Amino acid sequence: MNLSVKISSVTFKNPVTVASGTFGHAEKYHNLEEVKKLGAIVPKTVTLYPQVGNPPVRIWETPCGMINAIGIENPGIDAFIQTKLPNFKKIGVPLIVSILGHTPEQFVEIVEKLNTQEDVAALELNLSCPNLKHKTLVAQDPQATQELVRKVKAVSKFPVIAKLSPNVTDISEIAMAAEAGGADAVSLINTLSAMAIDTKTRKSRIGNFTGGLSGPAIRPVAVAMVHKVYSSVKIPIIGMGGIANANDALEFIIAGATMVATGTINFVNPRASLEVLEGIVSYMKEQKITDIHQLIGSLQK
Amino acid sequence: MDQIQNIYRVVSNEKLCPQFWRLCFDAPELVKKVQPGQFVHIRTSEGLEPFFRRPFSVYRAQRYVEIFYEPKGPGTRLLASKQKGDPLDVLGPLGTPFTLPPAEITQVVMIAGGIGVAPMLILSDILKKKKYDLVLIYGGRSRGHVYPMKEFKDNGVKVHIATDDGSVGVKGRVSVLFDKVKFNSSNTFIYTCGPNPMMKAVQEFALKNQIKGQVACEEIMACALGACLGCSIETKNGYKTVCYDGPAFDIGEVIFHK
Repeated sequence: MNLSVKISSVTFKNPVTVASGTFGHAEKYHNLEEVKKLGAIVPKTVTLYPQVGNPPVRIWETPCGMINAIGIENPGIDAFIQTKLPNFKKIGVPLIVSILGHTPEQFVEIVEKLNTQEDVAALELNLSCPNLKHKTLVAQDPQATQELVRKVKAVSKFPVIAKLSPNVTDISEIAMAAEAGGADAVSLINTLSAMAIDTKTRKSRIGNFTGGLSGPAIRPVAVAMVHKVYSSVKIPIIGMGGIANANDALEFIIAGATMVATGTINFVNPRASLEVLEGIVSYMKEQKITDIHQLIGSLQK
Repeated sequence: MDQIQNIYRVVSNEKLCPQFWRLCFDAPELVKKVQPGQFVHIRTSEGLEPFFRRPFSVYRAQRYVEIFYEPKGPGTRLLASKQKGDPLDVLGPLGTPFTLPPAEITQVVMIAGGIGVAPMLILSDILKKKKYDLVLIYGGRSRGHVYPMKEFKDNGVKVHIATDDGSVGVKGRVSVLFDKVKFNSSNTFIYTCGPNPMMKAVQEFALKNQIKGQVACEEIMACALGACLGCSIETKNGYKTVCYDGPAFDIGEVIFHK
């Protein structure tokens, strides 16, 4: 059975990974023998300078999901390279580093710092975090997306993945712009803008006022967007948004995703990504499918 | 490495007083590992609703692991429906435990509000072996919120109770009981857990009187593994996660807003 997939020149032994921001302290809490089975791992987004994150309250439970407004709390790229990267490399699974610059120049500076490193499989550009003080996201503007991806591609020695936002009228337009800028893949979807209000105090439940909705509640939205993007671009898609089990992941693959990521469900079930992988394998056995590529984009009319 | 996630069996699940329940589950390896102030993260639903696991302080770890809870939301109500023999999906033990008192300490005062009494029993189980003068100051809303404090008394803990309506003990907040105890900055150590306004009052009292101690905080949690950074609170050393850096913090470290 062939489960391996490629993004640009990088081969991943299987299509299952984790969404940025949902997988931390791997060395401490996860059974590393199990983590080694994943196709790739994606640490939390890192910025040029350290960020302390947003004021509490940062999360709120919603029907089949959650709102978060963490605000990319992270130690900055220098500390990440010094202290976090060696631990992630030790796991021995291809590493996709998620990065965010507040300007195109910051993106370039982060990439230049990462260029000094080996053993990074690809970079994921977070163009779509809804919890920072930007008026519009890069991923809400096709021209800005194309230009930013082009600038990063010009300097990066690693393949580049653009992470897209669902908070747009037509996500395929943004995906096409990323492709035109030279992106090697797109990943989608990031969280949906969301809010919850405490009716007693008439205040927002979230310290940052609004946040991003994730979890199984958003899955049908994400599947539709992957389907739409698949019909618009030739580059691979990493599909995510509410995947809780193998069947959910298969929906994304059939809709056109080359890779799939578990995200918020990791908080509820730390083994979710491995269960997804195991479930994909048993589905392929049952369906007598020998190559994952037979499934990608195999949606029947 | 040991598994952090396991399925255990419920041994008992009973109401201790009108408001509070106790659930025991059979987890010998957890009993060995868990320290006072640590917690377990339980998946109360087999489906996706409610979505998050629920964190519970370990109340006691002797033959079984015991948790003490109030069925009031969708997760804790589901927990109250668990029967003997039911499987329980548990992550744990998690979090930074209480530090034990420094050498010069002879008196330990535990100050708890409501469900915040949970980590104090396992703490007294450990401390009673070391001949401290143990005191519990407990505040609850009303009679239904105060269960018989037999386990604490069996551990040799002197118990003082205050209720909002005066139906048990003294009427008022825990602070009305502070003059019942001889606090001494050189040999008293405080542990506190409860609603934030109560912990803020205890913190102010401790700092004013130069008494050392620890607080155990509670927040809404998603992962409880230090990954999502969702349960962060403000401290004098920046944002810290309750699940990973806490729940136990130095009494002066946390910045309480209300």
